[in-house]
Amino acid sequence: MGAGIRNPQMNHNTKTHSDRSCVGRGTPRVSFRRWVPGLMLLFTALASRADTMQLGFRSGTNRLVLHGQDATQQVLATRKDAQGLESDVTAGVKWTVAPAGIASVDPGGRLRPLGDGTATLKARLADGSEATMAVEVTGSGVSEQVHFANQIVPVFTKNGCNGGGCHGKAAGQNGFRLSLLGFEPAEDFEHLVKESRGRRLFPAAPERSLLLTKGTAQLPHGGGRRLDPNSDDYSLLVRWIRQGMPVGRADAPTVARLEVFPAQRTMKSDATQQLAVTAHYSDGSTEDVTYGALYEANEKDVARADEKGRVKVFNLPGEFAVMVRYQGKVTTFRGTVPLGAPVASLPTANNFIDGLIFKRLREVGMPPSPVTDDETFLRRVTVDIAGRLPTPSELAAFRADGSVGRRDNVVARLVDSPEYADWFANKWSALLRNRRGDARQTRGALAFHGWIRDQMQRNTPYNDFVREVLTASGDIAENPPVAWFRQVSSLQSQLEDSAQLFLGQRLQCAQCHHHPYERWSQQDYWSFGAFFAQVGRKPGSQPGEDVVFHRRGVAKATNKKNGQAVRPAGLGVPLDEMGPDVDPRGALADWMTSPQNPWFARALVNRYWKHFFGRGLVDPEDDMRDTNPPTNPELLEALAAHFVKSGYDLKDLVRTLAGSTTYQLSAEPNEHNARDRHHFSRFYPRRLHAEVLLDAVHGVLGAESRFEGLPPGTRAVSLPDNSFNSGSYFLTVFGRPDASSSCECERSLDASLSQALHLLNSKDLQTKLSADSGYAARLAGDTARSEEARLTELYRVALGRDPRKEELGTSQAYLTRKIAAAKDDAGRVKARREAFEDTVWALVNTKEFLFNH
Amino acid sequence: MISLPGSARLFCDGLSRRNFLRIGSLGMGGIALPQLLQAESESGIRSSHKAVIMVYLPGGPPHQDTFDLKLDAPAEIRGEFRPISTNLPGLQICEHLPRLARLADKYSVIRSIADGVDEHTDFMCQTGRRHNNAPPGGWPTMGACVSRVLGSAEGVPAFVGLEPRMQHRPYNAANAGFAGVANDAFRPAADAKGDMVLNGITPERLSDRRGLLAELDRFRRDVDGSGLMSGLDGFNRQAFGMLTSSRLLAALDLSKEDPRVLERYGKGDPKVHGDAAPMLNEQFCVARRLVEAGARFVTVAYGFWDYHGNNFGNARKDLPLFDQGLSALIQDIHDRALDKDVTVIAWGEFGRSPTINKDGGRDHWPQVTSALLAGGGLRHGQVIGSTDRLGGEPSERPVKFGEVFATLYHALGVDVNKVTLPDLTGRPQYLVPDGCQPMREMV
Repeated sequence: MGAGIRNPQMNHNTKTHSDRSCVGRGTPRVSFRRWVPGLMLLFTALASRADTMQLGFRSGTNRLVLHGQDATQQVLATRKDAQGLESDVTAGVKWTVAPAGIASVDPGGRLRPLGDGTATLKARLADGSEATMAVEVTGSGVSEQVHFANQIVPVFTKNGCNGGGCHGKAAGQNGFRLSLLGFEPAEDFEHLVKESRGRRLFPAAPERSLLLTKGTAQLPHGGGRRLDPNSDDYSLLVRWIRQGMPVGRADAPTVARLEVFPAQRTMKSDATQQLAVTAHYSDGSTEDVTYGALYEANEKDVARADEKGRVKVFNLPGEFAVMVRYQGKVTTFRGTVPLGAPVASLPTANNFIDGLIFKRLREVGMPPSPVTDDETFLRRVTVDIAGRLPTPSELAAFRADGSVGRRDNVVARLVDSPEYADWFANKWSALLRNRRGDARQTRGALAFHGWIRDQMQRNTPYNDFVREVLTASGDIAENPPVAWFRQVSSLQSQLEDSAQLFLGQRLQCAQCHHHPYERWSQQDYWSFGAFFAQVGRKPGSQPGEDVVFHRRGVAKATNKKNGQAVRPAGLGVPLDEMGPDVDPRGALADWMTSPQNPWFARALVNRYWKHFFGRGLVDPEDDMRDTNPPTNPELLEALAAHFVKSGYDLKDLVRTLAGSTTYQLSAEPNEHNARDRHHFSRFYPRRLHAEVLLDAVHGVLGAESRFEGLPPGTRAVSLPDNSFNSGSYFLTVFGRPDASSSCECERSLDASLSQALHLLNSKDLQTKLSADSGYAARLAGDTARSEEARLTELYRVALGRDPRKEELGTSQAYLTRKIAAAKDDAGRVKARREAFEDTVWALVNTKEFLFNH
Repeated sequence: MISLPGSARLFCDGLSRRNFLRIGSLGMGGIALPQLLQAESESGIRSSHKAVIMVYLPGGPPHQDTFDLKLDAPAEIRGEFRPISTNLPGLQICEHLPRLARLADKYSVIRSIADGVDEHTDFMCQTGRRHNNAPPGGWPTMGACVSRVLGSAEGVPAFVGLEPRMQHRPYNAANAGFAGVANDAFRPAADAKGDMVLNGITPERLSDRRGLLAELDRFRRDVDGSGLMSGLDGFNRQAFGMLTSSRLLAALDLSKEDPRVLERYGKGDPKVHGDAAPMLNEQFCVARRLVEAGARFVTVAYGFWDYHGNNFGNARKDLPLFDQGLSALIQDIHDRALDKDVTVIAWGEFGRSPTINKDGGRDHWPQVTSALLAGGGLRHGQVIGSTDRLGGEPSERPVKFGEVFATLYHALGVDVNKVTLPDLTGRPQYLVPDGCQPMREMV
């Protein structure tokens, strides 16, 4: 930590400025010259040599002015090869500035002022190619008053002082408290300067200030040494204390937005990329904050970013984003690490999904796996749409369908089957937290599940479905979605769940402080909550049930930060004032389900994308931050537009997703795409969900499930709520969610020893396996048919395909060996039975069975 | 069921120890090694033998009749027990804990844990948190957090819970919460018990099955880029290893223990006490064997301490067993030079009332309770905090459960100021409640 070197931000006078903003400042400014690369010039350059090099630090300008003693500028050297591919050579060039005395440059391309004047910055590569940039230095001898919020607070953020593990905790650390990531400079000033009788700062001898002696660990400091006494940060703090700890000008500009340069780049394996980050201030001025900003990559096995804004990629192809944070603002650098393999041929595209996926595959050089075979497709799509394995008769019918559109036919049939409704009701029941805490909640839980299932079956448009939930009023018996308000009972959980579930926005952080990775403030949080402020409840017709109604009154919530009342507002969108008789939840549903809502359709299509493809275009699927960009933005847009245009038709969406060629690609990697995790160049297998797995195991064992209070044979995917988990070790250990959150992440698909033991050796499964009524017993007893016929049927039941020749050989050899070891007829009957049991057992424990692939 | 003639020793309630399937030592079991390595390097630790053994005393033992005797209190509060001196000058404990008295330089007694909750549940002792206001997914047990953060280094699950399913279900209330069910305890005496004995098949047949499975399970593992398939293979190997030699089974199998050592732990009492747990002293030994085999967090539930009636009669029976088992464990980790790595803690969910009720019992008293910590490279031979004259309120150094957890994490080499786990909303959560730091007296 503690990048040592700081970059200035006193007040607006010490930054580089655009000409638009310098009017009336009284300080001489040099206006921008827009840097527009002349096409002709570029052609000439390309024609004359293979590679060219350019210097830059921000898009749209290369006019570099360092103003004020603290000004710095990170400059990037970029080489462009004959194909037009750009790569960063900032660390590989020799940097010089001439003439001397104007500015210095370090080996990393960072400029600092020495004296007023103009100079030329030059970068020279080992091969002799060069690039230059003019540098102007002004005001280098001027010492400005330090600005607390703009200059001192970022020091705390950069050095980790105000992090959530240290002084940024709500309670502070060892009596000293800073606001989390410096979101509240006024509070920080109070705590640092005034609290504890001013003992933390000592203007008469700034270096003796507790702040510095602790920060540099001259005095024992729980957080260790965070500050280097030789760093710019340290000297800035000293200067500020010496100046008498000024707050700084009240009208000083604030950071309006961040810009990262370059904004995106395609990078080769093991390459590095220096970033240059510019803060744009409210008065139009700019400042280089490359060293003050914080960096975090989202895919840490693809790329890492260090504290100086250097991005290093590894040798894993993929997409990544680096979140850049400074003073509560965020921006994102997007990187692609292409594989660069030849994409000789692509499968036939079925719909727009394939066009956009294949386009990306071509761009990154990732040849897709071929389209998978019919049997694998049937099993895959049956699991994903109907939550079960295909039956042998379905397999036979599918094989008999010789039509070109037979896969589409399967999809259409499954979408219209009752199992589709079961399976997606299971999904939505968990997300809508349909829980049963005690027996009094039975009616509500069953009714809500039944209602959800009906909507799925009936294919209620998604916007109407969500509206029904959000605006539910009345008694559970008459209007089951009222049950949502029973489990999601507080205003906070209502707003958090609806934002996360329906909009992919995680607002939780903004309840107590400005969201660290997002634009959301506490004002946004509580304004969104105000939609639920008038939700009234009274006892319903049965104990444990509530009637939900609109409590007459003008909706408002209290911003806990400042105690002020706030009116309902969609995230960043203020709505018209509503009278006391208007239920604001209607306005929420209007705003949310409007085709113009930037998140609603995207969140849903992304959620369903993940259901079918194993990974969201944005992942996690309900964390659609600006700083967590989609791996294929065009596709996300296209899917959302398609979904809106279809009238929020969920079944149509399922048909579109499952009907794409992309969905139907084989899981088996080719020589190039084994490590693809972002581009969907092959199907990503995943373990069957707990419910599907339990049903599948029961199916193969020829056994019936028994759940308390439900008819025997009730499938696990049609269980109405979470209350059956506690009675089923299988469901618990394989990770069925408890419907305690609106996040799909509650479902665990991880492996554990307990699972392995249970599937290999549980008494329950062994009993079912060896039952006289079980499938193994039936197979063993069915001596009228050949072993081969019976084994073939077993493979079709368990794996949805015929056994391969060697599998048949192995299984038959096993049967033969076991039977041959028996001494008499009775022994042979027993041995045959056991051998079939063993074969069934083995298939259930194969990876092919456990996974949807 | 496998039955090997001659294996008479019983583990838990009635299962022949040899019946436990053996769990192989192969494979990392799909747990992210990088996280482990990162966590260790951040805390400056190189090796990974650090572990915690937590002895949970369900029901809440009487603090004033064990480690915090109140000699100055009136007789109706003071109770029947006499203090005895320990090998630590100035420290006296109950006369029914003579073995522990001889080891007082090897542990610390905290007398002022002050934020108990009046609920019979293991939640506070397992998580350090109250269960209300939990984030989505619920607060995870420390064992689950340790499993998630440190992973399992050997062919033994990181987190093993030796407690049975107790009749009073809240004694088993705490679970993996948002750390995820895959990090929950492996429970050889509870949920996994039935899965650890062969159900209706012979070892030969399991071996045949395994062979058949190996031949049929040829699905290409490289289709799965997530590593889950190979992780499953690792767990399957562990599970299959049960019939051959394996670290986990060997650890669970006390017939492999030196009988003289085992004898020191004592017999305990295999009968389930109250609606809680038996007093299986040998589980203390099993716990030690498990951490030696590579487990990082082992929990034992021991006895039933909810003495609403006949406090002294019950304690006279229970304390000597506890004294023998726990003292043997503490001595054992010292004898084996594990005392720098393995932390032992024993505590219950709350203390008991100063006043003795009409049935000669003491009632719930969440205001204060005691705990005993040993090993872990911590500073010992001390008493931390104190209670008032009646043993009713902390009078010095009130300690939070969370501070004890922070100390346990410290002993494991996990920096509670750095490491976070995301809850189900993605919010990073620290491992201990806000403001809880390792106890300065011990670290």
